[in-house]
Formats: sequence, structure tokens, C-alpha cells
Amino acid sequence: MHIRPASTTAPDRDGLAAVAAVDLVKVYGAGDTAVRALDGVTVGFDRGRFTAIMGPSGSGKSTLMHCLAGLDTATSGRVMLGGTDLTAQPDRVLTKARRERIGFVFQSFNLLPQLTAADNITLPLDLAGRKADPALFDRLVTTLGLAGRLTHRPSELSGGQQQRVALARALVSRPEVLFADEPTGNLDSRSGAEVLTLLREATRDLGQTVVMVTHDAGAAAYADRVVLLADGRLAGEIHQPDIAAVTEALQALAAGR
Amino acid sequence: MNPVLRTQLSGVSRRPARLLLTGLAVLVASFVVYATVLAQQITERSLLNGLSGTPEATDLVVREGTVTGAQLARIAAVPGVAEAAGRLEVGVQAGAEYLTVAADPGTGPLSMVAPVSGRYPAAAGELAVTPRTVQRLGLTTGSEVELRAGDETPPVTARIVGVVEPPSDYGDTAYAPLGTVSALVTEDVLQRVEIRLDAGADATAVREGIAAVVAGPEAPEVATGADVRLEEAQAMVGEINQMFAVVGMFVAVAVAAAGLIAASTFRIVFAQRMRQLALLRAVGAGRSALVRALVVEGLLTGVVAGLTGVLAALAVGHTVRPAAGALGVDVASPGFPLAAAAATVALAVLITVLAVLAPAFSAARVSPLEALRTAATTGARTGIGGGRRLFGLLFTAAALGGVAVVLAALPEPDAQDFDPSPLLLGIVASGACAYIALIALGPVLVRPVLVVAGWPLRRLGPVGRLAVGGVGGSARRAAAVSVVVALGVTLIAGTLVGGASVQVLAERELAASAPADFELSASDGTGLPPGYAGRAAASGALTRVTPYRRIDTTVGGVETAATDLALTALPRLADLDLAAGTTDGFGPGRTVIARYVADLANLRVGDTTAVTAGGRTVRLTVSGILSDMGPLHSGLVVDGSDLTGLGAKAAPTGLLADASADGEQARTAGLHALRDLTAGDPRYGVAVLADQRDQLRGNLTVVLAIAIALIGLTVLIAVVGVGATTALSVVERVRESGLLRAVGMSRGGLRTMLTTESALYGVVGAALGIALGVPYAWLAVRATGLNAPLTVPGWQLAAVFAALVALTALAGVMPARRAARVSPVTALTTD
Repeated sequence: MHIRPASTTAPDRDGLAAVAAVDLVKVYGAGDTAVRALDGVTVGFDRGRFTAIMGPSGSGKSTLMHCLAGLDTATSGRVMLGGTDLTAQPDRVLTKARRERIGFVFQSFNLLPQLTAADNITLPLDLAGRKADPALFDRLVTTLGLAGRLTHRPSELSGGQQQRVALARALVSRPEVLFADEPTGNLDSRSGAEVLTLLREATRDLGQTVVMVTHDAGAAAYADRVVLLADGRLAGEIHQPDIAAVTEALQALAAGR
Repeated sequence: MNPVLRTQLSGVSRRPARLLLTGLAVLVASFVVYATVLAQQITERSLLNGLSGTPEATDLVVREGTVTGAQLARIAAVPGVAEAAGRLEVGVQAGAEYLTVAADPGTGPLSMVAPVSGRYPAAAGELAVTPRTVQRLGLTTGSEVELRAGDETPPVTARIVGVVEPPSDYGDTAYAPLGTVSALVTEDVLQRVEIRLDAGADATAVREGIAAVVAGPEAPEVATGADVRLEEAQAMVGEINQMFAVVGMFVAVAVAAAGLIAASTFRIVFAQRMRQLALLRAVGAGRSALVRALVVEGLLTGVVAGLTGVLAALAVGHTVRPAAGALGVDVASPGFPLAAAAATVALAVLITVLAVLAPAFSAARVSPLEALRTAATTGARTGIGGGRRLFGLLFTAAALGGVAVVLAALPEPDAQDFDPSPLLLGIVASGACAYIALIALGPVLVRPVLVVAGWPLRRLGPVGRLAVGGVGGSARRAAAVSVVVALGVTLIAGTLVGGASVQVLAERELAASAPADFELSASDGTGLPPGYAGRAAASGALTRVTPYRRIDTTVGGVETAATDLALTALPRLADLDLAAGTTDGFGPGRTVIARYVADLANLRVGDTTAVTAGGRTVRLTVSGILSDMGPLHSGLVVDGSDLTGLGAKAAPTGLLADASADGEQARTAGLHALRDLTAGDPRYGVAVLADQRDQLRGNLTVVLAIAIALIGLTVLIAVVGVGATTALSVVERVRESGLLRAVGMSRGGLRTMLTTESALYGVVGAALGIALGVPYAWLAVRATGLNAPLTVPGWQLAAVFAALVALTALAGVMPARRAARVSPVTALTTD
């Protein structure tokens, strides 16, 4: 097995992370039943990099992603998207940020069943009242192998095809950050590998910042960097990870509990 | 308990609100049914409590036989009788008007009238009249009137000495003591005798005593006052029951609509639980166990919805009395009709169980594999199966066949002795088939309607596009809800179109029979004295004073009246539209003829025909044919010179005039002006045509309003159904809402989208309903054999359309608000 050498994080091109959490705290519930899902997380995600967030169940990785993506509001701390502070912004601002600066890929695809693949892809742009860049659209459709499927509805597509449509939807608006939540969780290994390769190519070829939440070491190995979370706190990171290193780190986290 | 059933029921008990939402349409239907029962109770009891035609003090009634004045005196002398009032009503001619003179003691417990002004008549030749009679017939206190009971009886002059208030005032009644009334007629016969007994008198003994007095070959019955009042009240209640039978038909349609809505909501609720049902199947639950569990759930829904509806109706029913009491109206309490309540709940259960059967069977057919699939792309079936399509097409064919049969059997215009009921039944049957076909083929029909209706919405941007897509994506659901909206709209559109057609017919008929507010005519055919028209016009209270002449003629073997009242003489005559030809260039030598004259004499526009009257003949050219009758029901309209040529005298037969202003006062002033003109000369009669017109118009409006209010019940249930469907589909699509919010749809956008979807159900339903209702209404108007034109009340239909869309949009507002409040994270993680 080839073990990649660990390397330090390359300095960010403009010295700013694409998205960052500063001392982020998220508490669910109140009083005795309160749960601190995030307990002071400070982490930055570099522009043009593919970062995976990992951790055992209940480590707060999904909560972190939801807060970073403006889907959920933190109890305290700050979320910086580029130069914008998303903390304590009204829903209107968060909605606009999600529509124009953030892309999503979900575990269960979440396509709208009544829209064709093409309409699903352009949905965020439609909502923003913008037109898709035809060159980018064509490139995405070709790269993702969706050329013959644009008029199909989700129910007529396989799981892998649906997730590629979701990927195209997330990429077509040139978001600052693409968030992927267990994107391979509902796919067979071959389709999963395809999707992960496509995510990696998006960072290499399009300079896309990707943040992916996963519990699968194999999936995390596609990333440039893995951020480890345990009990709502940052528990280390791995640069240029491979499966063995990630598995080992996860086992160490599990043993340390 | 069966574990499958237990699973289902524990799910239900965790979310009782969902159960109520599923049964909402049934709840409303039960409410309507039971409220109708209570309304009938309230009406019946209020009537029974109220006064019948017999005074409450009456202990015994002698009726249905011959009683003479002499017998009355002997009855009054029977020991124990405190008072005996003979009743007699006589119809007489008072000048040119009809007047009923009724006998009443005027004072005491047996009197039915209350004094208003003046005094009650005491001497012969004195009368008291009711307040409306004073207005109508101008019989003010102190005036004298000549009464004539028949051709043989000599006229009697009576003086009005007072005004009295009767139980109900028809505007043509005078009261007097019995002696005065019986003096008007030659026979000594009373219609009935009402008897009040002394306090403590033995009713049985008195009854026997009276029976002995009236004994004879045509002996009348001696009944107790209580029995007679009950009978009279029940006769009224019988009418009320007939009215409620008609109401019941509309309620039945509403109940059927509730059943359809319930079936659709069950389908949605079961689709939401598809994975859970599949899981039960995967762990070994049998199909029949699933069906049983789902049907029991439906049964439970029916019981809960039925009980809630009945209790709500009971609550409302019992507030009616205090509420009416606060307004100073005394109505009875509806009581607690338990049998009807039980029957209503049973009906609710029956409807719900029938509604749940089909959804339960199709839900139980779920494959166990479904449990393993992700929910993201399931549902959203749009097409229909071959069997359903065939079923739908069969019923379409049956409906079209029905229409063809009715069309073939349509009567000729103005056909005589034509019975429209088989044709109308045929239309109802064909309509029912068409509606069943609509239910079956609905999902296929929704798409084309959406393409048209959705076009402007698509233009509006992504929110509109998504709403159209959302409705079109679940065409089966959209169809299930829309057909119920369509049912309501079909009935309303049909009523409006039928009403509008009949209204045109009525206006035409009114223009023919009542072209002006007043008509003054000579009863013996001598014609009006010269100068009447001029004096009428000079009175100031009248305008458009138009004298006319009218004679009997024969044309082409048809006997009909001809008049020189020009079609342009009065504005209301414009409603007499022409079926063919024109009135341009009307003048000597020309004639406009009624449609039936054209048909019977076989005349067409341009034909020249001979018109004869009293041996004289004039040749006239037909320049126009009216759609119906001519003015004043004449068959021919000719120029004055031609009428003179036919031998008509110069004196006008009558004159028509309008009141110089609108309103009751101006009308009364006009009437008085004409009365002054005739100065009470019995040869000249004045008719207030405007009153007839108002009454006819008023009746039609009231009938239409009642019909539409009753159909409103069905519409209400349809709107409730749209609300429930939107609410349930919002729950079902919470992930979809979450996704839309996640990819950047604003809260307002999501609200707008869901509300628009809800409104689209209304658009589709209203479009289908109008498409079905208008042609059927036309067919029904044709089938009645009425010579009514096919009318489309465009504005009214547009208003119905707009109202339905607004109502269905409103039904979606609450669920849409709820959906928009949910955070995208919660929505996305909901399973």
C-alpha cells in the first residue's frame, strides 16, 4: 500500500478560506436535555480544495455542514462565507446565499420528481432568475454523462444518474462552496466511485471548493484533506489522506471515547 | 388485536389531527346533513307553536258541512257555549277590483283581527279593510265602494269605517260582522263555526249538544279546536317537508362529493405510509390483514368525523334560539333528535368506509420491496391503467349516447302538451355518466387543462412553473380533487345558464304582456273616450303615455289579434327580439308577426299575405318575425293606417303608460292619476303591469338564489377537500419543500408556490365544471320545450370561476404557511 506523505496545508491564494467556522457552538434543546452538537469548532476550508469532514455518529459533522451552508443557525460563534458573516443573518440573506453562493448534493439525491433532469439542473438558477451559462451547462452535461438523459424525469433515472444530475445542479451556478452530505450513501460502489471522481475533478478542473461529510473512509480518501470531528470538537486532520490513514484515525477516535 | 391493525391504530392515535384532516370532508358533510335535520325541526316546531288559521281560544269547531244562520243561533244557545263565531268568506267585485269580505266578530277572543284605526263595523253596509287593501284598492276610511257578489245580486254600497290588521294581509280583504257578510249572498250557509266554551263547561256534553243541533243529512263534523289547529299546522308542515325533500337532494349530492374527497385523501394518506406498509408486508403481514387494518382506520375516521360533525351541528342548532331571541324573533329549539344523529353518524361511517375501500385495496398491493427503496422518487404516478381508461371511455360513450337520444327527441319550439320529464331524466342520467367518466379519465384530462391554464403561470417565473409542475406531476391527485370542484361548478354553471335563459324568456314574456307600468283599457270593447291620453300625459305622474288599438283578425287561416302598437313605441318592447327580418322601414303595407303566426300560417320574411277583419281585407308584406309573442300578446303588428283599413275605430282600445319616476311612490302616484282619469267608471279598468313584472322577476331571482345557496354546500365540501389535499400533500412533500428552501427558494416563494398549486386545483375543476355544465344546461333548456334562447351569462360564469379559484387558493394558504415555517434542515431530515 502506498502511503502518501503528509504535507502542510498550502497557503490560501487570497489568504482567506472559502468558508470557515470560528468558535462555532450549536446547542439543541435546553436545560438538562440540552445537547451540545458543536462545542467550539474553529476550522477553515480552503478555496479550490476538496475537504472531507469525518467522525463517528453524533460527532456533529452534519450539524457543522448545515451551519456552514446557512441551512441552520449556530447558537454562538461565527460562520464566514468568503468575506460574509453568515451568523445572525435573516432568512432572506441566507436564502440568497444558498441560491447564489452555495451548492448542495444530498445522500438521497433530492431531485424534484415532477421536473426533467435539465429543469432540475437549472432549478437554483431559475429561482435566482438567472440563465445558465450554456458553455458550462454543456460541459457539465457531457462530463457527467447526462447528455441523453436531459428530458428524463428522476423516476426514469438510476441512482448514479440521479446523483450526477444533483451534482450538475450544484455546479451549474458556480457556487463558492459545494457541500456534499454523504453523496455516496445511497449508491453502489461503482456509481459512488464515479461521483467521488467527479467531485475531485471539479476541484482540479473547475477550481471548485468542495466540502463533503462522510463516514466512509474510502470516500474520504478522494479528498485533499480530512477534518476529523468527535463530540462536537475538532479532533485532528489528515492531509492527502488514504484509506488506511483515515481508518486508523477513526479507530483511534472510537477507542479514545 | 391483530398486530397490523395495532400498528396502524397506534399511528392514528399519535396523530389524531391527521385523522380529522382525512375525515374533514366527511365531517363537513355530517354537519350539513345534521344541520338540515335540525333546521327542519326548528321550522316545524316554530310553525306548530305559531298560530294556525284558527284562534287559540277556540274550543270546538263545526266544519265540513252545512250550517245555517239559524243553527248558529241555536249553537250559541247550547248550555256551556260562551261564544260562537260563524265564519264566511265572500268574493265580491268592488268597482273593477276583486275583494274578499270575511266575517269576524271584531272583538273578543275569537276575533282574528286587531284594530289599527277607525272602528270595527257595527251596522249593515259597513266594512273594515286591511292596511294593504287600503293601499292597493284605495279604500281609505270614509270612502264608499259598490260591492257586487254576482250578476244576479243587486249591488250594495258599503262604507269603510276602519282599518284592521289580519293574521296575514293579502291586500284584498275586508272584514265585517257575520250579518253584513251573509247579506251579500242569497244562500244562508256558513263555512264553519268556531265555539268558545264557558270556563268549566263539560266539553263532551257541549259537543253532543251541538251535534244534536246540526244533525241532518249533511251534518258537519264537530271537532275540537286543538285538533283543527294541529291539522292546519301539519298541512303547513307538509309543505315544509316537501321543501326539505328538495333540500335533501342537494345535501345528497354534497354527501357524495364528500365521499369522493374522502377517497382522494385516503389515497394520499396511504401513499405517505407506503414504506411503512411495505415494511409490514416485508416482515410477513398478509394483504388481507393490511386491507382490514386500513378499512378499520377508515371506519374510525368515519365515526370521529361523523360524531364531530353532528356535535358541531347540535351546538350551532342550539345557538339559533338564543340568537334569534336576541333579535326579537321567537323560534323553537331543535331538541335532540337522537335517531337522526345516529343515522347521520352511520351515514358518515358508510360513506367513509366506501371511500376507503379502493385506496385500501390498492395500498395493500404494495410490493414488500418498496420498503427498501428510497422515498425520493416514489409516488407521482400520472397516467391511468387500461381498465380505468376503458371504463371511462364506456361511460363517455354512454353519456354521449344519452345526449344523442335527447337531441333526437327534442321538441319543436312551442310544442303543445309536451312532457319534458323523460328528456330531463335522460339528461340527468347522461350527466351522471359524464361525471363518472370524468372521475375515471380525470388524470388524462388534467394535463391539457393545465397546459392552457398554466401557460401564463409558467411565464411568471420558476415559482409558477414549479406550481404547474407540482400539480401536473401528481395528475391523479389533482384530478381527484378537481372533479369534486367540477361537480360544484357544473351544478352552479348549469343553474346560472338555465336561469339566464329562462330570464331572457321571462323578459320577453314580460315585454309582451307588460310593456309599460300601467294599462288602462275598456272592458266592453267600446274604446276609450277621446282626450284620455292627453289628460294622462298632462297629469305629470305619467310618462310615455301610448294609446293603442287592437282588433281581432284572420291571417292565413290563423285567428289572431292585430295591434298598431309600434315596436319602437316603448323602451321595454326592445326585449321583443326578432327571429328573422328587420323593423327598419316599418310602415304602411308592412307587418311584423309573432313566431307562432309565422309557423301556423307558413309565412316567411318577404311574403305578402292577406289579413282580414270583419269582411275587410288588407294585403301586407311580412318584414319581420318575432322570436315569440307580439306586444300585448298580439300576433300581428301593423301600421295604424292599415288597422284603420281593417275597420278599427278611431278610439284607442287602451293606453299604456309608465310612472314618471322609479319607486313605489311614483307608481302609486301614477295609479292614482289613472284612477282619477276614469273617475271610478266601472267600464274602464286599470292594471298595474309593473307589479306583475316585479313579482315574476322576484320569484325567479329567489328560486335561483336558493338553488345556488344549496349547491354552495357541494362547493363548500369541494373547497374543504382542496384544503385537506393541500395540507396532506404539503406534509407528504416536506422534503421537497426543504430541498427548494436549501437551493435558495425564499419562504415567500414557497408559500406562493403551494398556494398557487391549491388555486390550480380550483382552475382545473372550474374549467372542467363549466365545460360540462354549460352544454348540459343548454340541452336541459331545449328539452323543457321552452322557447328560450341559449344564453351564456359570461360575467356570472367568470365570477364563479374567479370565486372558486380564490376559495381554493384560500384553502391552501394555511398549509402553505405551515410548510414555509419548517426549517430546511428539519424538512430534509424528515423521513
